[in-house]
Amino acid sequence: MIDALDLSKQYAGRVAIDRLNFQVDRGEIVGFLGPNGAGKSTTMRILSGFMPPTSGRAMVAGYDVFRESLAVRRRVGYMPEMAPLYQDMRVKEYLHFRAELKGLRGRDMRIRTGEVMELCSITDVRRRLIGNLSKGYKQRVALADALVHRPDLLILDEPTNGLDPTQIRQVRELLRSLRQDHTILLSTHILHEVELTCDRVILLHQGKICAQDTPRNLTRQLRATSAVRVELKGAEGEAQKDLQALTGVRKVIPRSRREEGWETYVLRVESQSDVRESIMDLALRKGWKIRELHRQLPTLEDVFVEITAGDGVPAQKG
Amino acid sequence: MRVFWILLKKEVRAFFISPVAYIVLALVMVLGGFSFRAALAILESGPSEGSIVTWTFNALWFWLSYFFVFPLLTMRLFAEEKKLGTLETLFTAPVRTWQVVGAKYGAALVMYAVVWLPTLGNFWLLDWITGGAVEIPRGALQGSYLILLAMGLFHLAMGCLASSLTSNQIVAAVLSFTLSILHFLIGVFILTIGRKVPEPFVDLVHYIASVDHIRLFTQGVIDSRPLVYYATLAAFFLVLTHQVVEFRRWRP
Ligand SMILES: Nc1ncnc2c1ncn2[C@@H]1O[C@H](COP(=O)(O)OP(=O)(O)O)[C@@H](O)[C@H]1O
Ligand SMILES: [Mg+2]
Repeated sequence: MIDALDLSKQYAGRVAIDRLNFQVDRGEIVGFLGPNGAGKSTTMRILSGFMPPTSGRAMVAGYDVFRESLAVRRRVGYMPEMAPLYQDMRVKEYLHFRAELKGLRGRDMRIRTGEVMELCSITDVRRRLIGNLSKGYKQRVALADALVHRPDLLILDEPTNGLDPTQIRQVRELLRSLRQDHTILLSTHILHEVELTCDRVILLHQGKICAQDTPRNLTRQLRATSAVRVELKGAEGEAQKDLQALTGVRKVIPRSRREEGWETYVLRVESQSDVRESIMDLALRKGWKIRELHRQLPTLEDVFVEITAGDGVPAQKG
Repeated sequence: MRVFWILLKKEVRAFFISPVAYIVLALVMVLGGFSFRAALAILESGPSEGSIVTWTFNALWFWLSYFFVFPLLTMRLFAEEKKLGTLETLFTAPVRTWQVVGAKYGAALVMYAVVWLPTLGNFWLLDWITGGAVEIPRGALQGSYLILLAMGLFHLAMGCLASSLTSNQIVAAVLSFTLSILHFLIGVFILTIGRKVPEPFVDLVHYIASVDHIRLFTQGVIDSRPLVYYATLAAFFLVLTHQVVEFRRWRP
């Protein structure tokens, strides 16, 4: 559905994205993940036909995004960051306008706008002025607009940005329900987001792809650190030194005490090694009391910190 | 073409739901009334060489409304979309840039026509009240509204350009106001020196001086040169606007 070849974009000489290569297949939900300024929006603007790349090329649904921009735009539903909308139009009026603009007519247009309003749960606000709607509703109006012409590909730039947790869950469920009929490319800087929604993650950092894989594999590939959390009593200040001495422990980080006598530590450990047994042994030997011993599995957050901090070997996979 | 009509419809509608259109309408009607009153006063004061039409469109009040109409009608067009970020949704729909530029310009032109139409009522009313006692020359009336339209073509295109250059409506308005005034002053300047330096400047006067155009057309002297001049400039500024809006698509 998407085929990007050496896609690059510079703004007045400043590199925003640098030779991106990636594919998205029909039916996939792919997440662009990266901190602010990584180049997510830039890439999406190019893919949606808004502006051309400085060099390289991209094919969307078999059309070149620059030379056959109009054909691409007919097949792509794009929702920009922050969901920009005309404030002084009413929801239904806006969607009718957009649907007509995208080539729908008459009865079909009216039925389809009704459908997408239902789908995005905005039917009850259809007569309201967009400017008076809450952020969550605006976001869904923009999504309805992206969907209205039955596009093959949905490009959604931070669709859950600025929403409260309930609204985020609603949007996520909506995206899941859309996966039968649409290929979806979405961007986010929230890791949890892609873990829950996407089949595949493309990790962007400073305009470059630093990893792309399934969320699970990415987590598993994690070369470094998982963490163990332990809460103990009776070590009399010796605990940190003793824990540090265990094999497989990289670093011991003391946490603030919650209760008199109890000390909490987070241990960064080598991946694949599980130090929980040796901690237990140590505690028995020393006569410590333990009331929490818990291994924290690495999250995408860890992958992200690891890779973007530059000390991980970037996992470059097709 | 279908896309153009959809866009035009939306833009015209946007005008009617914004207060600006009504402010402009009120402004033109009030100032139009003032200039009409001024013209009547001149006619009352004794025999004069011009008709009621001529004096109406050469009144100071007329020029006042003239300069305010263009910035007020065009400032919103692109600046607001830039500010809201809606250019991005607009240009990711299957629309061509000329359709967007044409629709916005077209809507401004429609509004321009709408705000000037009521001033025709003044003449009609006068004719009705006085039972045709005051002479209202047909040719002068046609000429007046023709040159008004031609000037509108040009100044509105300039306003479009100003609006496309910024995301701030006030900046757009000030810019287009300045450009219009500048054009007017250059015209006045050339008119002044044109009277002294005869031959080579005579043509220039005919081309640039809006004051002169108004004076001639409102007497019913319809000259094709100013019409061509304004239409050409309008086309030029529209092409410029098109280029500015297309800027994002240039490969650096
Ligand atoms: N219109 C623009 N003009 C100049 N620089 C820009 C523009 N848009 C984005 N950039 C720059 O390009 C880089 C990538 O931006 P962007 O694609 O918006 O990142 P993201 O969406 O991942 O936050 C940033 O460094 C940003 O400052
Ligand atoms: Mg962004």
